[in-house]
Amino acid sequence: MDGTLIGLVAFGSVLFLLALRVPIAFALAAIATIGTFVIFAFRTGSFAPERAIRPTSSLVFSNSFDLIHSYDLSMIPLFVALGHIAYRADITTKIYHAARVWLAKVPGGVAMASVVGCGGFSAITGSSIACASTMGRICTPEMLSVGYDKRLATASVAAGGTLGSLIPPSVLFIIYGIFTETSISQLFLAGILPGLVSLLGFLLVIFIWVKRDPSAAPAFTGTITMADRGRAALESWPAVLLFVIIVGGIYGGIFTATEAAAVCVSAAILIGLVQRKLTLRAIWESLRETAIQTTSIFLIAAGAKIFVAFIALTGVAPDIVEAVTAAELSPVVLMLAIAAIYLLLGMFLDPIGIMVLTLPLMIPLIETYGFDLIWFGVVVIKLLEIGLITPPVGLNVFVIAGVVGREVPIDRIFAGIARFLALDVLVLILIMAVPALSLLIPYSM
Amino acid sequence: MLSRIESFLLNLAAIAVIGLGLLITTSVLLRATLNSGIPDTINMVRELMVAAIVLPLAATAAARANIVVEVLSERLSPLTQDWLVVLGSVVGLFALAPLIWAGWNEAVHTLESGSYFFGQLSLPKWPGRVIFLFGVAFCWLRLAIQVVGDIRTIRSGGRVLTGLPTHSPHEEV
Repeated sequence: MDGTLIGLVAFGSVLFLLALRVPIAFALAAIATIGTFVIFAFRTGSFAPERAIRPTSSLVFSNSFDLIHSYDLSMIPLFVALGHIAYRADITTKIYHAARVWLAKVPGGVAMASVVGCGGFSAITGSSIACASTMGRICTPEMLSVGYDKRLATASVAAGGTLGSLIPPSVLFIIYGIFTETSISQLFLAGILPGLVSLLGFLLVIFIWVKRDPSAAPAFTGTITMADRGRAALESWPAVLLFVIIVGGIYGGIFTATEAAAVCVSAAILIGLVQRKLTLRAIWESLRETAIQTTSIFLIAAGAKIFVAFIALTGVAPDIVEAVTAAELSPVVLMLAIAAIYLLLGMFLDPIGIMVLTLPLMIPLIETYGFDLIWFGVVVIKLLEIGLITPPVGLNVFVIAGVVGREVPIDRIFAGIARFLALDVLVLILIMAVPALSLLIPYSM
Repeated sequence: MLSRIESFLLNLAAIAVIGLGLLITTSVLLRATLNSGIPDTINMVRELMVAAIVLPLAATAAARANIVVEVLSERLSPLTQDWLVVLGSVVGLFALAPLIWAGWNEAVHTLESGSYFFGQLSLPKWPGRVIFLFGVAFCWLRLAIQVVGDIRTIRSGGRVLTGLPTHSPHEEV
């Protein structure tokens, strides 16, 4: 049987099962198992199922077990645990409170503080939806209570939440690193500048929005002293310390990303206990939540790993590369086509699902064109970020809608998102046009 | 009974997670201060990873915390959506079955051969394999019970999707 045909049918079958609400991990693993079995059964020309059982089970087991049985990937549960513990120790929210005080007098200051808070939260947790969910509960009600435009109060946090994927540590970068076999430390460092540019861009959007329509964000009328500012800045030191450990440790070559994650978890627990913000019960609950969440992530990654091994057997990827090469697409057209595919998928699928489905086909193509995989990783993550706020699915928007309830209809949130989305597209073009923006830091190590 | 075992396994996984953190941190500190380390840290971390990831599989299935795409299914009738939940579990049973079979072979092989990791402590290979087999098999059992329970609920006129646990702030990626 034709391997390419099997591969294409398998892709179609996975998409069909996903549409039927089958868990992503199960859909990938089941289709890959069937496909692998069929390929091995037809290997000799005639159908011989007895010869397919052992190699199929061996491929399925080794790909899933080796993924889990990994030292490097222990950074995933550790970074997830860090997010939970830092949240419970009140470390992640202190950045927002500091920004709130420092930006109080600036037009749209609370919205700006929300975006800065999201950036700070992202620098510790690495999850966009967790960022939007947590910061949404804190910032959006506060903005609504002081009379902010509902679109601004919701959209700024939904957009700010997307920073979680780009600013290190990022779970999406880790998963990209697994499937492309690129350095996760370098990916983390590559996300810093694009993440900061996105953050500054969001602040600019809020500034222009409020300048043009001052009623969108009533001015702050209270008094903020320098002592207040100093105190707020000092209180945010644990978050700054953790970020310095992660980025400074990796950049300085002191730690690997895995070691940075472990040291940060230990440091966050220590800080939380010393500051009496953490109880043993809170730590325990954090670890249990971490275990459940990490298992969900790894289940998908294991399913995808099996699927990738199956796709390699089919030979569909080289065929697609050959077809694209024969079409003589210019690099610019190729990147535009890839961006269009990701943006389209981002409207319907969640970020991990998109990555594991597309990377087996995209990476050979990218390598053939000679693009840098670290840079491409940043492009992919930025595209996935945009998908988080693109209608009709826009997961972050739905997270914020869940926080505010009926007070702000979803179409109002999407109306506010449009300006941030436009900025995101500009940043994406910048990342694509200027690879140095992503590669400057990792390649200066 | 089943949920108590799941909770116990989840507790073991939580211990494995903190074990990972402590082991790696101690190793880093020893390297920085005494230019030394814990022998076979890498192998121990890898074995702990299996416990941290695989033991909560059944609890994850029970909490229906596996990530799904709902954009199309949401437009279908509630009854159809409930049957799709059952379909998802059945596909899960099918997907996990080869892992159990291969996991059994691998666990038996490592136990019988007494194979071990190269390193100062010569740690045996079987614990990770046995934990993997146990975690996946227990998840399969949980899914099978869930399928039967869900079908009964649907046939008695009840809803499967109502009352599903909502995601905590950190539950998504």
